[in-house]
Amino acid sequence: MNKSHHAQKATGKGDPQCFTGEAGPPKFKVGDRVRIKDLPDIFYTRCQVYTRGAVGEVAVVTHESPAPEDEAWDNVDRPEWFYIVRFKQSELWPDYPAAYANDTLQTEFSERWLEPV
Amino acid sequence: MAKKSPGEHKAAPMVEEVSDFEILELAVRELAIEKGLFTADDHRHFTEFAHSIGPLPAARLVAKAWLDPKFKKLALEDGVTASKEVGIDWLNPTGFGTPSDYTDLRVLEDTPTVKHVVVCTLCSCYPRPILGHSPEWYRTPNYRRRIVRWPRQVLSEFGLQLPENVEIRVEDSNQKCRFMVMPMRPDGTEDWSEEELAAIVTRDCLIGVALPRPDRKQNAQRPVHKAIHPVQHDH
Amino acid sequence: MGGTHKESDAGDSNNTSGEYASIALLEQIRRRGRVWRDLSAQYGVENPDPPWKVCLEGTCEALAVQACALPVLERRWAEDELSETLYQGVPFPERQLLALAHTMIERGLFGEDELARRIEKVGERLNSV
Repeated sequence: MNKSHHAQKATGKGDPQCFTGEAGPPKFKVGDRVRIKDLPDIFYTRCQVYTRGAVGEVAVVTHESPAPEDEAWDNVDRPEWFYIVRFKQSELWPDYPAAYANDTLQTEFSERWLEPV
Repeated sequence: MAKKSPGEHKAAPMVEEVSDFEILELAVRELAIEKGLFTADDHRHFTEFAHSIGPLPAARLVAKAWLDPKFKKLALEDGVTASKEVGIDWLNPTGFGTPSDYTDLRVLEDTPTVKHVVVCTLCSCYPRPILGHSPEWYRTPNYRRRIVRWPRQVLSEFGLQLPENVEIRVEDSNQKCRFMVMPMRPDGTEDWSEEELAAIVTRDCLIGVALPRPDRKQNAQRPVHKAIHPVQHDH
Repeated sequence: MGGTHKESDAGDSNNTSGEYASIALLEQIRRRGRVWRDLSAQYGVENPDPPWKVCLEGTCEALAVQACALPVLERRWAEDELSETLYQGVPFPERQLLALAHTMIERGLFGEDELARRIEKVGERLNSV
């Protein structure tokens, strides 16, 4: 993967800032409940197995960027919105102790991984 | 530091032998340069940058935010802009950031009922420009796999036990955002200056595995546990 | 490596990885090399890191930029796997260095023989008085 074009695009702005305004309106907003899709990930992804199928709540709408599944192959033409999603730990791990029902975990997804609940 | 007086200057002790690892490092680097993978000047540039980073700017950012509500608001809304006020430009050293970090810093604010802790389960993403190099334990598969699943167990290994009513919020840093924790200002620090406050905000507090204490200015010693099972990429 | 991934089975006692074959040259350094932990204790040096660590970091960064000979994530994954297998028991950052050299040889960025010759030359230079 040649990064020199990326360097040019990001110089003086930073990455992901250099993709601002390229993804259109975000599909989700803070507070929306979403489910993580179980998409095939034969090649490359940064979506963790432990979140697949889980339901959480959008905590932050972060930025626009190509999804890593595309960017790993140098495809930067389709930026998406990214979201930090908050899960109850008990939603991710069925055996999580009930005494700590308040505990949560947050991680980030590109829009393609989320579906409304 | 020992006090030095003129005339009896004594050089710090040095390792007086060349190890096989020192030779290997230079050999690998020279071959990479010879093959055109990067230039000697690239290398010098990145090494200089690697030398210059550490946890102090992040500690200052927290101390400043404790003292100045306006700055705190900025830090929580726009970590990259707030970083500039403690001398960190996320676009360094290349003009678009480092080759291995992106430039979206998020500051996670602890409250009496929420305690944040940061991990990267996929590799070891870390807000290096403002926090320096990650500690060895942060890179271990053991920490990365267990903190998401048994956060209370792992935190108690760090000596941090939190009551049931405090929500432990694990932040798994898996995309372009980088995270640092803004812990709560501890009691007993009233009237402290920014510099005094920054001194107790250690690296471990900024990752979220420790809480600042007025009497502690060092990261606790912690043995690195080996993973019980071989590494597994959780994706 | 690359984009592929796998679930490793939890074969605790079995430390060999199907994917990584040992490299004689690096194996020799692993066995014979003196790690910073021991050297610094012997000479009473307080710096927790060897002086070359920061240069190693510079190399890792430089490899990830421009031509991108070795992307960060691929380097880290290989380092994780090698740290749990061939270089298990080697302290950090020596482990990171062995893993980097291993990965570069494996990816054909340079050969084992080439590296051996270079090590000899560098060794002579650093040890000359």
